[in-house]
Amino acid sequence: MELVTDVAREQTRARYPDEDGYVERDGIKVFWERYGEGEPTILLQPTWEIVHSRSWKMQIPFLARHARVITFDPRGNGKSDRPPAYEDYVREEFAKDARAVLDAAGVDRAIVVGWCDMGESLILAASHPERVAGLVLIAPPTSPHEVETTDYPFDEVLDTDEGWAKENKHYWLRDWEGYLEQFFGACFTEPHSTKPIEDCVGWGLETDAETILTGFRGWETKEITPETTRELAARVQCPVLVIQGSEDGLMDPQRALDLAEELGASVVVFEGSGHAPHVRDPVKVNLLIRDFVESLERSAR
Amino acid sequence: MSVTTEAAREQSRARYPDDEGWVERDGVRVFYEVYGDAPTTLLLFPTGPISHSRLWKAQIPYLSRYFRVVVFDPRGNGRSDRPGTAAAYSRWEFVEDGRAVLEAAGTDTALLGGLCHGGGSALMLAATYPACALGVFAIAPFVPMLAPSHENYLHYPFDEQLDTDEGWAKCNSHYWRRDYRGFLEFFFSQQLPEPHSTKQLEDCIEWGLAGDVDANVLSAMEASRPWASEKDARALCRRVRCPVLVAHGDLDGCQPRQEAAVVAELTGGTLVTLQGAGHLPQARHPVKVNGLMKEFADSVVPPQPKVRRWTRALSRRRRALFICSPIGLGHAQRDVAIARELRQLVPDLEIDWLAQHPVTKVLEGEGERVHPMSAELANESGHMESESAEHDLHCFQAWRRMDEILLANFMVFHDVAREENYDLWIGDEAWELDYYLHENPEEKRAAYAWLTDFVGWLPMPDGGEREAFLTADYNAEMIEHIARFPRVRDRAIYVGNPDDVVSESFGPELPLIRDWTEQHFDFAGYVSGFDPAAFADREKLRHELGYRPDEQVCIVTVGGSGVGGHLLRRVVDSFPEAKQLVPDLRMIVVAGPRIDPAAFPEQDGLEVRAYVHNLYRHLAACDLAVVQGGLTTSMELTANRRPFLYFPLRHHFEQNFHVRHRLGRYGAGRAMDFETATPAVIAQAIAEEIGRDVDYAPVETDGAAKAAARIAELL
Repeated sequence: MELVTDVAREQTRARYPDEDGYVERDGIKVFWERYGEGEPTILLQPTWEIVHSRSWKMQIPFLARHARVITFDPRGNGKSDRPPAYEDYVREEFAKDARAVLDAAGVDRAIVVGWCDMGESLILAASHPERVAGLVLIAPPTSPHEVETTDYPFDEVLDTDEGWAKENKHYWLRDWEGYLEQFFGACFTEPHSTKPIEDCVGWGLETDAETILTGFRGWETKEITPETTRELAARVQCPVLVIQGSEDGLMDPQRALDLAEELGASVVVFEGSGHAPHVRDPVKVNLLIRDFVESLERSAR
Repeated sequence: MSVTTEAAREQSRARYPDDEGWVERDGVRVFYEVYGDAPTTLLLFPTGPISHSRLWKAQIPYLSRYFRVVVFDPRGNGRSDRPGTAAAYSRWEFVEDGRAVLEAAGTDTALLGGLCHGGGSALMLAATYPACALGVFAIAPFVPMLAPSHENYLHYPFDEQLDTDEGWAKCNSHYWRRDYRGFLEFFFSQQLPEPHSTKQLEDCIEWGLAGDVDANVLSAMEASRPWASEKDARALCRRVRCPVLVAHGDLDGCQPRQEAAVVAELTGGTLVTLQGAGHLPQARHPVKVNGLMKEFADSVVPPQPKVRRWTRALSRRRRALFICSPIGLGHAQRDVAIARELRQLVPDLEIDWLAQHPVTKVLEGEGERVHPMSAELANESGHMESESAEHDLHCFQAWRRMDEILLANFMVFHDVAREENYDLWIGDEAWELDYYLHENPEEKRAAYAWLTDFVGWLPMPDGGEREAFLTADYNAEMIEHIARFPRVRDRAIYVGNPDDVVSESFGPELPLIRDWTEQHFDFAGYVSGFDPAAFADREKLRHELGYRPDEQVCIVTVGGSGVGGHLLRRVVDSFPEAKQLVPDLRMIVVAGPRIDPAAFPEQDGLEVRAYVHNLYRHLAACDLAVVQGGLTTSMELTANRRPFLYFPLRHHFEQNFHVRHRLGRYGAGRAMDFETATPAVIAQAIAEEIGRDVDYAPVETDGAAKAAARIAELL
């Protein structure tokens, strides 16, 4: 199957931001948007820089009718800067960006929602409990236990580029789009997912292999370590909801269940869903987020 | 309309307390009950002495599956004392009773709930002892002076002699002492403005009569003056720190909307208005109220984190939930036959059963999967037995007196249906399902097929006007349900043919049952659990079952419930005489799963068995059967062309009218009257009928397939 993805004009949105802007830290600018007014506030975290904030397009219009919704583009994609140093892409920096965006939008405290969150939301919730009222983690790969690493060496030149051999520095530089198709094909294991795959590949093409490689030396270093995960999880005080697809093609679902246990979180397993249920099963995810937000509102009285 | 309520034996509960006791304060003893052992306690306050703790009967079975529910009888009613001083009925005494009950139940914090006077008590406790209250769920709370009293109370003074006792003049201490029942009938009819509330009204009157009139007068005098001014009332509400939910019916005739709204405002709580509801929504709209209470409690005390599952639509297996009425085993046989046909049509279909004993016994024998939540169902057969007398079951009244059990069982279904994704629900005379789905149509989340073998409640002649009124009222509600929400039943299948439907009307100014049924049902023909062709070779069958060609086999069976014990006894008593008349007689008495066979000593030619699997094979092989008037067994005999004697249970309208009508159409069976059937009469009838050739109209054999075909269209 050949995918045709023009980096074309953005498709019409269901809702446009009521405010947007940039925050700047150490000369690096990050672009954020606000939808809706008042309290509570929901911060939709970017995942790593392979996509940008449009990955929440199925959540924003609905949630913004119930809450103030904040999104931002990760450094390395969208309208945010592409800083040049590896250290600019560590998870602590993403957590600091989130905090700076909340400050800029005038938000004291938010429910933080992360997709494939590599540690930034845990860092934020553990280090700044006063800013985080609750945490929703969709398909979080950060396990408190050691997990297996990939089959192919990332830095070496390989004699194949079949399947996950595409997850390789040299292949990325050769055919970034080919990797995106591999990656998001595995992300959406559900049949009939053509549009979500096209969307994600399109967002991935708004950055490039060079930018990604600046901040990527393999998954072991991209995500926070199991030890850090355990240490942060112990410090997270707020209620946590974990949403995990049983047919996740990018990670073992058990990682999310282990993390949930470590956090004392509620879990909803999406039977038959892949790595991005908020994109592929948006109605159910939207309602779960709303219910979670409402339960926090009630118990906060 | 006159209401008759005997201060009778309490009807079966859906759940009985796990613990009970008395607390004593200043010499006054107050009775309490504890249900369940969940970590969070929910204390439900009584109203004043106008009622007792049965007020919460629709909530207890459901909520005690999630919370430890504590209820108590107010001083002045139920099993609590009736002190004789006004001071003993101060509002604060009820509050302190609640606190003492909590302490006796071994906790000092709880969710609090209350209705009217009790809603006020809950708020007063929460305001005075904030550490006790996790949250307050108040239905139409009575907080004196917070708002002007309901206009109903403004017409007449309570404690003065009046020259009238019309209408709200009945709310008067002198009238109460003259005719307390008259007051209760009037008052509660005002508080239940919803049509078709006869059972709730009867309950309230019964509970009111269980109380003490003097206590009620004293309490009514004290109820309005726990403090001096509106300012005090407002201050009290402001002192409530915990979450509050106020529910209020917009047709409430006791507490005004403004009062509920001010409580919600001052406590920072939420006001839920129940449109079209009166003062007693916990009784009249229990599914909604239970849901609100559970949701509120969960928001205040979040349940332990757990792993839930949601399956995306196209990943779901095709699943049906079969809800099978447990009253009589007949439904089980035919439902298994329908399930078998359904699987032929939809091979990947998984069927779960929500069912209880004795149906589960049949299902397990057939290898069917009984849903584990079935264990939570309250027992309906046991209730029916408890309502029966000697060969006598007033099944309409027994069914009405099962309202608590039916609701509790609907709530079990509700939880299963919410938790799991079924494509289809099939209810075979699952009254709780059909009734509460029409009362709460927003709960319908799957296709739904309804099966029944009779339509229309019919009054027994000796029930008089009252019973005729009641059956018509129930029929009218059903007709309105179907007319208003035709989307609830996706299929309605009558197990039989149009001619099997009785010709009576549903009641005054209501349609004829047959016309209406033909308009609203598909007709599957009769559904039996077997194919009579399989028994064409009776001699072979008799050989297999151990019946010799030279003996005359008479099977005596009363179905799966325990109601038939007296008939069995009577027939056993007829055996010696029958044996004289029919020397080759071999009588097999099937006691069924709920009657102890040891009660009937065996004698030569008479055998007693506890349970016979595939009883229908024996009925196909016999020379005569003696049965009750239940449909399934008599139709099995009809289909197998066996002679039989049948004894409709006294006061059982279905057996006396519906089944008898149908058997008449087939020319099948000999109806016997238990009243006049002495052992000698029975022996004579056995002798006349045994081995007789019959000319019954034939019974179709494709009913299960036809029913399944209509249901399969929904999958």
